[in-house]
Amino acid sequence: MPPAPARAPRETVPVKTTPSYAVGPEGKALVRELAAVADYIARVKQEIGALRVNELCRDRIPSANEELGTVVRTTASATHDIMAAAEEILGADDTSLEGYRARVEAKMLAIIEACSFQDITGQRIAKVVEALGQLERRLERFANALHVRDGADGPADPEDARRDARRERLMLHGPAAEGQGIAQDDIDKLFG
Amino acid sequence: MALDLSMPILVVDDYQTMVRIIRNLLKQLGFEDVDDASDGTTALAKLKQKKYGLVISDWNMEPMTGYELLRHVRADENLRSTPFIMVTAESKTENVIAAKKAGVNNYIVKPFNAQTLKTKIEGVCGA
Repeated sequence: MPPAPARAPRETVPVKTTPSYAVGPEGKALVRELAAVADYIARVKQEIGALRVNELCRDRIPSANEELGTVVRTTASATHDIMAAAEEILGADDTSLEGYRARVEAKMLAIIEACSFQDITGQRIAKVVEALGQLERRLERFANALHVRDGADGPADPEDARRDARRERLMLHGPAAEGQGIAQDDIDKLFG
Repeated sequence: MALDLSMPILVVDDYQTMVRIIRNLLKQLGFEDVDDASDGTTALAKLKQKKYGLVISDWNMEPMTGYELLRHVRADENLRSTPFIMVTAESKTENVIAAKKAGVNNYIVKPFNAQTLKTKIEGVCGA
């Protein structure tokens, strides 16, 4: 067995040490800014999470929509029943007083029954009010936490912009809040 | 001058319940010839086909509002003398003034009662 070749002496590798960069005032400011941006992003993520947007879009808003749709249908149906009863009384041509009285009593009862819609629609509207209140509180917290300001020149949805322009041009304000609109007496003075 | 109960009246409103309410009130006042339309465009077409003694119109409708209908009526030589009452939930002063400038004969804010409607019709159509 031939003798093993003599090993070459191990080369000494110099140990690398982390270079110490000197961070000037500008660098420190940059680091501080980046840290602030990172904090801000973390806070934005936290606040967006607190909005629970998915829950709002999946449950709360569709549910409020559904409740209001039901309120509209229920009130329309009750109004129809009440008016039909009233129209029947107005158009009654009974020959006897007893017959007329019986008809009026039956229709009055129908009117009273139809008025029961108010209890249910009141409860449905209360649910919508609660959902809107929750949405308002979450948005308010979001806006306050991030110091959000309304953008005056933000991109507007073209359909919204068209509707707003039409409302403005044709003075479509809808019913005024209680005590806000002009009273009939004041209108009458204008037409004196 | 007594009201001409035979005069045709056109009620313009996109809510069928309101049309029904006004129809019933008019019937109680003695008017029998009452037609209706659900917006200004349909109303204008009806006005060009038949001579009405009175138009009672809502303001907020699509595609043509009651305000636009009023302006069309007042701009049309054949229709401009037709009495026109606005019955609407629009109760801002600017709406009332704009309607008056456009030539409306009277203006009723919803909700209203039979007496108000009667008084305005009498005032406009000459009782």
